[in-house]
Amino acid sequence: MLEIATVFDFAQDTVILAVGVTAVLASLGVVLCSSPIYCALYLIGHMICLALLFLLYNAEFLAVVQIIVYAGAVMILFLFIIALLGGKKEVQENSLHRSLALAFVFTLLGELYLSATVGPTQQVHGEVPPELFGTAKAIGLELFSKHLVAFELASGLLLVAAVGVICLAKFSFAPLRRRVR
Amino acid sequence: MEWITEILNATWDFIVLFLNENIPLIVGSVKAVVIAVGIMSVVPALVWLERRLMGRFQVRLGPNRVGPLGFGQPMADTVKLLFKESIIQSSADKFLFHLAPAVVVITAIVGFAVIPFGEPFEVFGQSIEMWGANVNSGILFVFAISGMGIYGMVLAGLASNNKYSLMGGLRSSAQMISYELTLGLSALSIILLTGSLNLVDMVKAQETLPFILIQPLAFLLFFIAGIAETNRAPFDLPEAEQELVAGFHTEYTGMKFAMFFMGEYINMVTMSALVTLLFLGGWNAYGLPLWPIVAFALKVIFLLCVFIWLRSTFPRIRYDRLMTFGWKVLLPLCLLNLLVTGTLKVIWFP
Repeated sequence: MLEIATVFDFAQDTVILAVGVTAVLASLGVVLCSSPIYCALYLIGHMICLALLFLLYNAEFLAVVQIIVYAGAVMILFLFIIALLGGKKEVQENSLHRSLALAFVFTLLGELYLSATVGPTQQVHGEVPPELFGTAKAIGLELFSKHLVAFELASGLLLVAAVGVICLAKFSFAPLRRRVR
Repeated sequence: MEWITEILNATWDFIVLFLNENIPLIVGSVKAVVIAVGIMSVVPALVWLERRLMGRFQVRLGPNRVGPLGFGQPMADTVKLLFKESIIQSSADKFLFHLAPAVVVITAIVGFAVIPFGEPFEVFGQSIEMWGANVNSGILFVFAISGMGIYGMVLAGLASNNKYSLMGGLRSSAQMISYELTLGLSALSIILLTGSLNLVDMVKAQETLPFILIQPLAFLLFFIAGIAETNRAPFDLPEAEQELVAGFHTEYTGMKFAMFFMGEYINMVTMSALVTLLFLGGWNAYGLPLWPIVAFALKVIFLLCVFIWLRSTFPRIRYDRLMTFGWKVLLPLCLLNLLVTGTLKVIWFP
């Protein structure tokens, strides 16, 4: 007689494995696909798979933020730019580029092998109470107590980047005057 | 033959045991089906309501020939849309063309899954909760899923291979990114007040007083941004008929065309429900002798009527004004409101 708990564990392991494999396949699609729209779509699929993985490991807040920030905001901008530039398929003719890309892929695979052999992934060290695990409260407490300086520095860095982009994008010529009202 | 019956018996025992120990699973599945079917059948009723009300607002009758009060009109329309020929022009990207309306409808329905619409009640010793899922960060979930809904419009614009569709898709993505900020920031002041991202907790915090009385500015900003998020007039720039034919769904016909409208109407219901939960006290009736779910439904229907009222009252605003309004008026107001709320909360409840 099968125990129900083991069935649940087995089912969860299967789901995690399936989502992980889908994430890898989607990221392969990003690299291998030649049409930029489909590349962006594969990347969105990859982000959603990552969010699902977070969700399966009970990191609910992280999963939602992953979707809002990456799948929701960043990828929309990607699609926006693809739509502006026209999503034409790229023609592959230069074999030098292809061999370079192949070398790069093999390097990455080698790194993956290395990181897999060096050691197993480790549990997070810390004293987060189990009922708070993965909630916004736990992450907020960590961010605004232990990592406050790094957090504020990172936000300052982002602000500088935003101001820099506006400076770079500012046109040097006078903008077209339009009749107002 | 005996081993087959043995295996069947064992499987049956296992299923019975499994279901007995997992009644929440059954309840959850039933609730999921009920919510999905219910929210989809709200759409024709809403179309009817909108056409009748618009008729009244514009001093005409509206559809009144099919059935009593014209109530057969949405059904006739649905049948017509289902049997219409589906035309796809040859230069379109077929896969994305089919994917886009599906994304719009799926995200709209999934977003409604975390909306609570009543207090839990007891049936057969089993506590049935009136929500699909009580997610800890429920409000963030709604924002995340409604953010994914933009893809449907952008993909429709990209796949149609039509300049009007492309313009509509571009406009919708820019507009929704801009107004999502306002939406999130004005909800943040409510999150500050309740100290929770959970929608049920937010309703419980409003048992004595709805938050609209404490946060009128946040309510106004949230509602305006909500209209813009659902692409309703006066913010329906992505489908501006006079300039873009019909925007991102210019090339769509039949049921695929109708699916975009389904998505829009379901989003309208979700947005009204969200405003009700955050600002109007959810299912709290404040002394009126109403069932919680009836109080909730009445508030949502009232807000839906306001949506329709606004559509027939205001002209569409110009695109650059829309962007200026979002970034230079709404966003600073939101930040100011958030700052004041945070300061007052720290002073009064340290």
